[in-house]
Amino acid sequence: MAAVKAKRMAVTAAAGAVFAVSLVLSVRFFRKSPHTLVEIVQDGTVIRTVDLSAAPDETIRIERRDGQSYNLVRIENGEIFVQEAGCPDQTCVHMGKLHSDALPIICVPNRLIIRFAEEDGT
Amino acid sequence: MSTRRTVTLAVLTGLALILFVLELRLPNLLPVPGFKLGLANIVTVYAVFRFSPKETALIVTARVLLGAMFSGNPSALIYSAAGAFCCLAGMIALRKILPAERIWLCSVIGAMLHNTGQTAAACAVMRSAAPAVYLPVLLAAGMTAGLFTGLTAQFLVKRAGAGNRNGRFG
Ligand SMILES: [Zn+2]
Repeated sequence: MAAVKAKRMAVTAAAGAVFAVSLVLSVRFFRKSPHTLVEIVQDGTVIRTVDLSAAPDETIRIERRDGQSYNLVRIENGEIFVQEAGCPDQTCVHMGKLHSDALPIICVPNRLIIRFAEEDGT
Repeated sequence: MSTRRTVTLAVLTGLALILFVLELRLPNLLPVPGFKLGLANIVTVYAVFRFSPKETALIVTARVLLGAMFSGNPSALIYSAAGAFCCLAGMIALRKILPAERIWLCSVIGAMLHNTGQTAAACAVMRSAAPAVYLPVLLAAGMTAGLFTGLTAQFLVKRAGAGNRNGRFG
């Protein structure tokens, strides 16, 4: 049937377009951020701001709001990463060091985000 | 529902659960929150083309609930449920317009909907748009994974169809 064929083509084209756009947008994930100011966000609120260019090495322990889990955030040689976490998936630990504006470190179970802050105007 | 059919649905649910748990044991291929190969989706795609929407929904619901228990991560239930039901709704709509040779496409679009639904849920729970920045990477990787699980399901549907030419059994 012509109608089914047209729908089928539309669906195929839409899927192809979404895939192509996603692929293009993914490229910027590998671009290193020019920023040094980092925000640690818990439950949608910035709980700490760190300037990586000036921060001394430090380990920050962040308890989840309900106290059932935690993240150990490590600042070392001007880089930031999750060293240890009580979350079940450990994705935040596997993500390694924060390097890109487009790819913040997120711990979904603990509702924690570590991202570069937009420094005024840039 | 006949006993035979109930048993078949239970076996498929068990299979989906085994694939789900197996995948939890595999190393993380891509360190992006929410990325999974979606092996259990092979069963969902198969069921979409071999069973009624209601029966498929039963399998998916059971798999999502049991999967949350087995993974020891009940807080992930909301994300996996949001993803799984967006995916299921889309695939059920698509099965009417896609022939057996395009089952892989159904799976690719299902993966796209799964990642979108899951990301929307994560944004809602975290009260932040931050999870949405992963969406392009999730989609690119998820749709690629969906192609492979879809091709596997397509192969299985064809094999099952060859043994039962009258179409859907039961
Ligand atoms: Zn985590």
